[in-house]
Amino acid sequence: MASSANSNPVPKLYRSVIDDVINEVRELFLDEGVDEQVLMELRTLWENKLMQSKAVEGFHTEEQQALQAQQQQQAQQVQQSQQQTQTQHQVILPPQQQAPQQQVIVQDPKILQAMNATGMSFLQSAAATAATLALPTGVGPYQQLITSQGQILQVVRAANGAQYIIQPQQQVVLQQQVLPQMQPGVQAPVIQQVLTPLQGGIPQQTGVIIQPQQIVLAGNKVQQNAQVMQTATMTTQPGQVSAAQVQAQSQQQQQPQQQQQQQPAQQQPPMMLQVDGAGDTSSEEDEEEEDEYDEDEDEDKDKDGGEDGQVEEEPLNSSDDVSDEEDQELFDTENVVVCQYDKIHRSKNKWKFTLKDGIMNLNGRDYVFSKAIGDAEW
Amino acid sequence: MAYQLYRNTTLGNSLQESLDELIQTQQITPQLALQVLLQFDKAINTALANRVRNRVNFRGSLNTYRFCDNVWTFVLNDVEFREVTDLVKVDKVKIVACDGKNTGSGAAE
Repeated sequence: MASSANSNPVPKLYRSVIDDVINEVRELFLDEGVDEQVLMELRTLWENKLMQSKAVEGFHTEEQQALQAQQQQQAQQVQQSQQQTQTQHQVILPPQQQAPQQQVIVQDPKILQAMNATGMSFLQSAAATAATLALPTGVGPYQQLITSQGQILQVVRAANGAQYIIQPQQQVVLQQQVLPQMQPGVQAPVIQQVLTPLQGGIPQQTGVIIQPQQIVLAGNKVQQNAQVMQTATMTTQPGQVSAAQVQAQSQQQQQPQQQQQQQPAQQQPPMMLQVDGAGDTSSEEDEEEEDEYDEDEDEDKDKDGGEDGQVEEEPLNSSDDVSDEEDQELFDTENVVVCQYDKIHRSKNKWKFTLKDGIMNLNGRDYVFSKAIGDAEW
Repeated sequence: MAYQLYRNTTLGNSLQESLDELIQTQQITPQLALQVLLQFDKAINTALANRVRNRVNFRGSLNTYRFCDNVWTFVLNDVEFREVTDLVKVDKVKIVACDGKNTGSGAAE
């Protein structure tokens, strides 16, 4: 290997550690009577997780590179077919997105976790396998490509054989205005606007099929609601609705709750579904109703203080907490350094650190050092 | 015994997760998984001591410090980590450091 002063030592280090461990453990496995195959599986799992974590760059074997090449090709294919099937909205793919579409699919482990958490049935299994293996092969009827920005392009082959491209954050332009913001909160009112013309009440759908794929990226606050192409959906395909519907309903109900709270004032169409608790808008009628209901509960007396009492209570209670709320930050990555100390010195409030043999995870990436020297003031 | 300190790193966590998966599918026993982790501890300690040769400097403000069981834990804010090649800035970082003097016994046991 050429001497590489500038290259990242981390992948090599990690690989060597993996090799060492696997080799040392082989005996242990054999002693326990565990097949070599399992050992290989361990290695594969380990390497895959490392790759998925994106903490290390340039990690891995030729196999992975070949896979990445495949993924790129498929990403391009999907992109092409996307352009075909997309009639109108061109969706306002934010210009940023177009570049990364061709990138290798870099997957976020949290996406996997979130996907598993959503509990979607038919989408989940195929998605999970596709996602974990990062294999865009025709795994089941479902292909999922995740761009580096965490946007998810889904190619779903529906039951009727038609192929839909599901794009997240698609601005649904129905009769309503085009919502200029590409924020996640936007999705809900749009959906509702879509729904309400059809039925004033519960968001059932024959009109719009919203694929129940909510991916919540932890800390990212992006709720991506994959929506099937409008044109396809608006032609009402009841045949397709079945399972997706049920799930869609539950998802939609969850989503409007969350997102309505985020946007109480932004969109107020004439028939706005309010799924969350009352109390957003202060109105005397609501107060009276609440009073009647709540008489039996002790907490009423607090609420009787006024509609605002509900809102004020939370801040009141939160002042009980003395600590600085270190946990408050939604840490995507808690930047951590794990190491050993040679010397820790303090003078008044000036601290000096002499550390060694450390692994750092900063801003999501991994670094290592043999020595680290630092200063800080307390 | 080597420090089990490095288990909570990307490398260590991915290993633990993989082992957990194998345990769940009953392909290995928890005992075996533990052995693997112990082996990992040794390997990573050795690798860091022998195969890494770079220096990092950092500067920031100290938010909290703790010294307990010979383990220092710091939380720093607004830190800049400087290596010859590049600079990384973070708002908050937690540093966990075990005693680096010839480690006779591991911290976790």
